[in-house]
Amino acid sequence: MSDGYILQMKNITKTFPGVKALSNVTLEVSKASIHAICGENGAGKSTLMKVLSGVYPHGSYDGHIIFEGKEMAFKNIKESERAGIVIIHQELTMIPELSVTENIFMGNEIVERGLINWDQERKKTRELLEAVGLHINPNTIIKNLGVGQQQLVEIAKALSKNVKLLILDEPTSSLNESDSENLLKLMLGLKKQGITSIMISHKLNEIAAVSDYVTVIRDGQTVDGYAVEAGKVDENKIIKAMVGREIENRYPEHTPKIGDVVLEVSDWNVEDAKVPGKMLCKNSRFNVRAGEIVGFAGLMGAGRTELMRSLFGKTIGIFKGGTIRIHGREVKIDSVQDAIKNKLAYVPEDRKVLGLNLLDSIKKTTVSANLDKIKTRGLLDFDKERAAAEKYRVSLRTKCSNVGVGVNTLSGGNQQKVVLSKWMFTEPDILILDEPTRGIDVGAKYEIYKLIHELADQGKAIILVSSELPELLGMADRIYTIFEGQITGELPAKDANQEVLMKKMTITA
Amino acid sequence: MKYIKKVLGEDLRQYTMVVALVALIIVFNIASGEKMVTSSNFQNLISGNAYVLVLALGMLMVIVIGQIDLSVGSVAGFASMVMAITARQFNLPWYIAILVALAIGMLAGAWQGFFLSRLGIPGFITTLGGMMIFRGGVIWISNSISVPVPSELKWFGAGYLPEWGPAFTGMNNSTLLLGVLAIAVYIIIQLKKYARSGDITGEKEEFWPVAVRIVLVTVVIGYMTWIFGSGRPGTSFPIPGLILVILIILYHLITERTSFGRHVYAVGGNKSAAELSGVNVKRTYFLTMLNMSILAAVAGILFVGRSTAAGPADGTSWEMDAIASVFIGGAAVSGGVGTVIATMVGGLVMAVLNNGLMLMGVGADKTQVIKGFVLLAAVAFDVYNKKNRR
Amino acid sequence: MKAKKIVSMLMTVAVAVSVLTGCGGGRTAEPTSVADTAKTAETEKTDSKPTGNSSESNASEGNSSKGGVVGVALPWLGTQNWAEAEVMFKEQLEAAGYETIIQAADQKVPQQQQQIESMIENGANVIVVGPVDGTQLGSVLEKAKDAGVYVIGYDRLLENTTGVDGIVQFGSVKTGELQAQALLQGLEELKGEAPYNIELFGGGPADPNAPNFFKGAMTVLQPLIDDGTLVVVSGQTEFTQCATADWDNSKAQSRMDAILAGNYSDIEIDGVLSPNDGIARAIITSCENAGQPIPVVSGLDAENESVKWVWSGKQYSTVAKPTNALVAKTVSIIDSLLAGNGMPETDVTANNGVIDVPVYELPPVVVTKDNAKEVFADDPDRMALLTE
Repeated sequence: MSDGYILQMKNITKTFPGVKALSNVTLEVSKASIHAICGENGAGKSTLMKVLSGVYPHGSYDGHIIFEGKEMAFKNIKESERAGIVIIHQELTMIPELSVTENIFMGNEIVERGLINWDQERKKTRELLEAVGLHINPNTIIKNLGVGQQQLVEIAKALSKNVKLLILDEPTSSLNESDSENLLKLMLGLKKQGITSIMISHKLNEIAAVSDYVTVIRDGQTVDGYAVEAGKVDENKIIKAMVGREIENRYPEHTPKIGDVVLEVSDWNVEDAKVPGKMLCKNSRFNVRAGEIVGFAGLMGAGRTELMRSLFGKTIGIFKGGTIRIHGREVKIDSVQDAIKNKLAYVPEDRKVLGLNLLDSIKKTTVSANLDKIKTRGLLDFDKERAAAEKYRVSLRTKCSNVGVGVNTLSGGNQQKVVLSKWMFTEPDILILDEPTRGIDVGAKYEIYKLIHELADQGKAIILVSSELPELLGMADRIYTIFEGQITGELPAKDANQEVLMKKMTITA
Repeated sequence: MKYIKKVLGEDLRQYTMVVALVALIIVFNIASGEKMVTSSNFQNLISGNAYVLVLALGMLMVIVIGQIDLSVGSVAGFASMVMAITARQFNLPWYIAILVALAIGMLAGAWQGFFLSRLGIPGFITTLGGMMIFRGGVIWISNSISVPVPSELKWFGAGYLPEWGPAFTGMNNSTLLLGVLAIAVYIIIQLKKYARSGDITGEKEEFWPVAVRIVLVTVVIGYMTWIFGSGRPGTSFPIPGLILVILIILYHLITERTSFGRHVYAVGGNKSAAELSGVNVKRTYFLTMLNMSILAAVAGILFVGRSTAAGPADGTSWEMDAIASVFIGGAAVSGGVGTVIATMVGGLVMAVLNNGLMLMGVGADKTQVIKGFVLLAAVAFDVYNKKNRR
Repeated sequence: MKAKKIVSMLMTVAVAVSVLTGCGGGRTAEPTSVADTAKTAETEKTDSKPTGNSSESNASEGNSSKGGVVGVALPWLGTQNWAEAEVMFKEQLEAAGYETIIQAADQKVPQQQQQIESMIENGANVIVVGPVDGTQLGSVLEKAKDAGVYVIGYDRLLENTTGVDGIVQFGSVKTGELQAQALLQGLEELKGEAPYNIELFGGGPADPNAPNFFKGAMTVLQPLIDDGTLVVVSGQTEFTQCATADWDNSKAQSRMDAILAGNYSDIEIDGVLSPNDGIARAIITSCENAGQPIPVVSGLDAENESVKWVWSGKQYSTVAKPTNALVAKTVSIIDSLLAGNGMPETDVTANNGVIDVPVYELPPVVVTKDNAKEVFADDPDRMALLTE
């Protein structure tokens, strides 16, 4: 009756207040196969896996889950694990200060008469580690392992639970190349032992290398499925399926007035501080002209934010070389203060964590990156502060009762306007906007777009980092693509379309 | 209600503790048979608690930045002991001794600041170490024996302003002069502010709230001047109180009107955001700890001046009083929130409690219990208020 | 919400009114009698003070029959003698008809400073001070002096201030002499012919009494050391060498351990001068651990445990400083002061660093097994210890 399928998810629909995250998704996975799921950021892949593993309990979604021929109704992760479904998240969930053995048996300790049988656990651990190809002492503390090894321990932990279906959420996103290769090999080995894997990934080369079947999800719907034969996959088809939607958002009209090169970055190299050997930026080289909006496209974890933050005062990773020229002159930027002095501004992607002090008022936030400008005889002048805040409130059309209220009372769009005014107040020449419209409703987005155009018209060089391809295509004059820390392409926006970009975002050029 | 808001400002909540303070003073005054509100008792209240309030000034900034300093009592004790020994055993003049104490405070602060800012060791640990090191240091260098200080130093801890001029005022004229000056400065500031008020928004403020404000403040300062100035001849507003007032004004300006002050709040509110806004987080941490220890030395000087000798146990558990003052003043444990003025009110609440209970003959044991409850109640009230605002 | 605001506003107004109508001070009003006597007190310091009117006016405030307010500031209640003192002061002062304020400072100097100030505010005529640290009350005691309040130091010297009128204590030099004499008596009784091997211990250097104990003892012992009757085997005879920081028993014990290990491998120790009972017991324990015969050891305070040891012969002697005698002496001085007779005569004075302070000394009592029953005849608690 199950026709060789280990798992069938039928007509899954999951709604959050106001959003339909999944609608009628169907997923069928054959026994002892590797099944890839791909889709854009926010397409609904993770939601689907959370439905499957019981994070969203039975009853909170519509549809059926049939596992090994039986209908399942998981109430929590524990139940799905008992059935043999184990999910390994993108962020590892082990306790760094404990040993491999302790982590593997965390919550499933082998207990005799109320006490843990350590000998038994260690013996079992050694066998499990053997099975995933890790030759380490079971007493090793987790934090002393590399990320790749930790991932293998996670898999060993899954094996200890008699896993039948292993779900890996972007398993190689934080691994360097050799570790990635290792992991993919292991997945093939597990397949031989009869363990099925679902791999969420957008790295088409990896998908082609190991998977048997690809399901593409877009906007919460199953779009298409393709068999992978002999390590080959029709990339163009998959990409088209991933992005294939018309540009829905509207972008204001704009005729750019592009001037001279303002910012020129060359041979920029940054190593990940946590994963030795993994490069966040590889020989990055790009430039931005006055009045130009330059887009940066890339999937999550491709290294766009890392590139920008390392430019903005080296606040991320370990700097390994490269030069920045501003107006043709080489500059040294070793701190955020240097960056601001050199007329750079950076609006970070996570407004609440990196952009704002939520305890502050609008006026205090507005002036916070350029306090010197509101000083009179060495002391901060509240009149000047208020005047500055008022000026931006009016020009950015920020909706608030007055500039003395806390930024925590504002909507996302208005918060973003306050962050923008803070950086406009530093009078930058180069403005880096990292996901400036994330979490903002459509109307407010339009206003932000207009602001970006105004800034460009004032002759500022603008870098726009975005995960939304339509936004890049609609706003940018020129687009760079990044994949695994490397700039893989550069093309004028008018020559670009989503397919071309997606292709460059998923494979090395 | 609307009218009150116009006079006092939009956020009336900040006056809760002021109301509590005034209520406490009234209640104790009645309960103690009008012994609370007298010249001599107010003078005692100020000179007996100035050192804690000075510590609280520094502690406020440390807590706003998201740290804690457990070593302030030990640093105060150490700095003042070194001062006493300098003056006594090396026969150096008192002003050199004071400079030595301040230098010791600065070194201690640099030491702690170094571990916090450069090595990233949390302030709790750094200063717990400092607490032991400097306490041990005091006992070590003093052999556990109190050391008397030069009599000039007494002026800092228990001195009064000079008497001069006509007697018909019925007051200490220095105190009177200070009071009049304070009122004048307040009126000038208010009027200037009023004159500018329409410049930005285009809406001129009404004048009557300004007038009411001026009258209120004049009455309060005037009354305080009378209370402090009309005591026994020879007494006045105490010198430690004067030092405290100068420090309060200074630190009010630092926290509200300088880049450094803003940086302290920025780092405490959101360290990552502050860093990305160009705040030198390490430098801010360093200076805050440095400043704290210098103030600890000042507190030590005031206390030793009052005690006329530096003792091996000086400063024991002072940090707790300072921390309590800051939290009663409404600062947040997570950092980013708190003001100088509210902290001073918080400190005065503790001081008035202590003083009032003593006047009523309540023992140190019960006083401690009551202070503990007040701390909890104040913070619980604050948390409750913040939750309800959502 | 609104009601709360209104209440708060009313309160503010109430304060403003209540304070303005003059519960405050005022140089003309002089509401407290304390301030009254201030200036005169300063000029007439050397003579007996005009306490009569001040005590009377205060009596009208309090409801005591005889008149007079007495403050007693104690350092803490954590040891037997201070806890006893609190109870005895309360009983005896109230029995004498004074309004009594007793406060203990929990060993904190700032606390004690503020307590003394609050006693002044409460109109005390006499303040008895058992200081946490005798040197650190300077300005507060001078404030008391300016307010015309008598200050009597209890048990410890009040140093570094002019604001003290007298000290009541057991003679500390005398105590030292008694300890030394008891030690000699014990050596002759129990350890045969001279010479005797002895060691010396002092008290905590922060306590001004400790050097005096030692000094007293040395006036007796030094001549005998010089003529060879006594041999201090370790050679440590200076107070700084012999002192025990903080009166800490465990520090004394470690020092004794070290001395025995270093100097007594082949000889026996005959006697030890110990400044108090806790240290005496530590010394005896150390000797037992080292396999030495129990030496003759002096003591002080007649702590319960040591009274037992004296009775059983383990500790040769202790010195009793009966708290009730000290309290009774203090109360008699208070009686004299409040009756307008000033400080009683005394010929002993001690320099406190600023002035010479009259000292009222009581003789302590040596306790050995022989006289224990007599000494504690009036003390049922300690008598009970002598039965085993």
